[in-house]
Amino acid sequence: MMQSVPFNYRRIIIWMGRLLLAAIFIYAGLAKMIRWDMTPRPPLGIARSLFALQIDSYQMLPAWAVLQVAQWLPWMEIAIGLLLLIGWRLRIWATIVTLIIGGFFAAVVRAYALHLDINCGCFAKPEPLTGMTVLRDGALFLLAVLMTVFAFQEARKPHPWAAPAPEQSS
Amino acid sequence: MKRRLLLAPVVALVVASLGALPLVAAPPPQKSAGGKASRLSKTAAPAPAAQTQITVNGVVDIDPTKAYGNKNAPVVIEIFSDFQCPACKQLFTTTTQRVNDNYVNTGKVYIVHRDFPLPMHAYSRVAASYARAAAHVGKGEPVEQALFQNQDKWEATGDVKGVVALVLNPADMKKVQALVDGKTLEPLIDRDKQLGIAVPVNQTPTSIIHAKNGQSYPVIGFVSYDVLKTLLDQLVGQ
Repeated sequence: MMQSVPFNYRRIIIWMGRLLLAAIFIYAGLAKMIRWDMTPRPPLGIARSLFALQIDSYQMLPAWAVLQVAQWLPWMEIAIGLLLLIGWRLRIWATIVTLIIGGFFAAVVRAYALHLDINCGCFAKPEPLTGMTVLRDGALFLLAVLMTVFAFQEARKPHPWAAPAPEQSS
Repeated sequence: MKRRLLLAPVVALVVASLGALPLVAAPPPQKSAGGKASRLSKTAAPAPAAQTQITVNGVVDIDPTKAYGNKNAPVVIEIFSDFQCPACKQLFTTTTQRVNDNYVNTGKVYIVHRDFPLPMHAYSRVAASYARAAAHVGKGEPVEQALFQNQDKWEATGDVKGVVALVLNPADMKKVQALVDGKTLEPLIDRDKQLGIAVPVNQTPTSIIHAKNGQSYPVIGFVSYDVLKTLLDQLVGQ
C-alpha cells in the first residue's frame, strides 16, 4: 500500500533553493555572455570585457583578478546552476553556491555602504545598485544558507522514498 | 541515483532551450545608453551654438574645444562628468590620462568631454563654465587638470576662479572671465546636459564608448585603465 510522505519543510526549502538558485545562476551566466540587452549582440570577448568593467567598478580586486573573474565566473555560474538542478553531490555544490552568494552579498553591501554609484552587474544589463539590490542578495544568501544546512541535516536521514530497511532477524 | 540520471536529460533540454531562446527571439529594441544617443542624432532639436559643434563617427554636438584626438579614430569615447564628483576626479587623474597617452595621442581614440554638472553639487556648474571658457581660449586641458586636482580646495571654499587663475596667465584669465561673465558658452553646457539626460546618464562619471561598427557601450562609474584597455584593444582591432 502506498504511503504519503509526511510534510517536511526542510525538503521543501531544499527544493525551492535548488530550483530558484539554479535558474538564477544559469540565467546570470548566460546573460553575461550573450548580452541579449544589447543590439547587435556583442561578441563573447567584448561581452566579457564589459562584464570586467562592471566588476572593476566595485574597486575590490586588482585588474588581473578582475579579468580572470570576468572570464570564468559566467561559466562557473552556469555549471553550478546545472549541478544544483541535477542534485548530484548536493551538499558540496550547495556549500559552494552559498559561499559564492555570500561573496556577492558582501561586495554589494560594501559598495552600498561606501555609496559607490555603480551598476550591480548581477545580470550584466545596467542595473543601479540600490537598497533593493542589497535586500534581494540578502534574501538569496539566506535561502542558500538554509538550503545548505537542511541538505546536510536531511542527508543523515533515510530518504522518504527509500525502501524500508530489511528487518533483522534475531 | 537513478532518479538523478533521469533528471539529467530534462536539465539538458531546459538549458538547450534557454541557450536557443536568444537566437530565435527577435532582437529587442536597443536599450543601451549609446543606442539612445545614436537615435538622438536623428531626432534631436538643433543645438544652441550649433555652428561651433561637430559630429564625429555618428556622435553629435561635439564642442571641438572639449574633444581630443584623431577624428577618424576607430573608437570615440564620450565622458559625462561633473567637476565636483570624486569618482570623476579619480577617473580623470588616473584612467583618462593614460587613455590620452596611449590611445588618444596615437590616433586610436577620439575623446569627448561632456559636462554633466549635478544639481547636488554647489559649484560644479561654475567649474564647468570656467573649464568651457578655458577650452575656448585654448587652455582646456590645464584648467580641467587644475580643477580636478584641486577639487577638495575649491569644493570647500567655492573659489573656482582662484584655482583657474593659478594655471592661466593674466591675459588668458581675463579672456576666460569675460566668457564666463558673458554666459555665451552656457548653451553648450546645457546641450551636453541634455544629451546626457537623453542617454540617460544617471550618475557620473558615465562614459559611452562608440565603436566604428555603430555599436555603443555605456560604462558607469570609475574604471581602472588596465581593465578598460582590454575593451579598447578589442574595439580598435575590430
